[in-house]
Amino acid sequence: MPNDSLRDSLAEKRWLTALAQGDPSALGGLYEMYGERIFRYTYRMLGNRSDAEDATAETFLRVLRRSAELRADGAFRTWLFRIARNLCIDKLRQHKLIELPPDAQYGGSEDRTALRITVQQALADLPTEYRDPLVLCDLEDMPAREAAEVLKISVPALKSRLYRGRRALRDKLCGTMEKKMPLEKKLR
Amino acid sequence: MNDFYKKLVDLYAGGELTEELEEELEADAFRDPELSYEMTTLKRTVDLIQSSPEPNFTEESYQRILMKLYARGVDLQHKTPTPAHLQYSLPIQT
Repeated sequence: MPNDSLRDSLAEKRWLTALAQGDPSALGGLYEMYGERIFRYTYRMLGNRSDAEDATAETFLRVLRRSAELRADGAFRTWLFRIARNLCIDKLRQHKLIELPPDAQYGGSEDRTALRITVQQALADLPTEYRDPLVLCDLEDMPAREAAEVLKISVPALKSRLYRGRRALRDKLCGTMEKKMPLEKKLR
Repeated sequence: MNDFYKKLVDLYAGGELTEELEEELEADAFRDPELSYEMTTLKRTVDLIQSSPEPNFTEESYQRILMKLYARGVDLQHKTPTPAHLQYSLPIQT
């Protein structure tokens, strides 16, 4: 195991043990470790910063409330993402969030911002069962087995949804790709 | 396109094929425009998703989330556990 992973794993175990023993301040350590990833994931699922911040805060609150159930057995990250996902699903059901307020803090050139908005809009239009695997596997770079655990489905089911999701996204992005990829650059 | 090729295209787009199979499929694509279109557009989609800039976790967002937690009564002042050898002060020898 690389040193960084080992160090993270030990730190996670330490914070989880402290939290399970009733030390709420250990949540700060877990927030330092996972706050950014959970924020990115919820942002991609919900499509805007404000809701992503709410969902991230609520995710860590739920961790605290359920700290008695915590086990430092390596499954914490999966459990954490599952909590975040359930919160996103609830929010999406409540509001049907698809609008994308311009985000000046996103950074990068206009082209990159436009690309991000295009991909985000296309993702937002996809059914959740396709969006989930795309965000976890293609955007968050999560291994298929772990993503399947987060979604509580088998690896073949995850891959099937991932492939169908990519095709659905391809169909939505078709116009964008034609502009970015002239015909002569295709394989033929 | 039959299901076998469709499956191969899915694996190709995700970079899950061996180099040998990838080359064979690309060779087939030169003879089959439909296959070529499927491979190119799907691979491009995956590249587009993966190169899509990630949301920026700004200091403001970091602080706002902390404030939301504080507002709900959570004390997040995390402190690294003090190493055992620093937990007790030793009498200074004079």
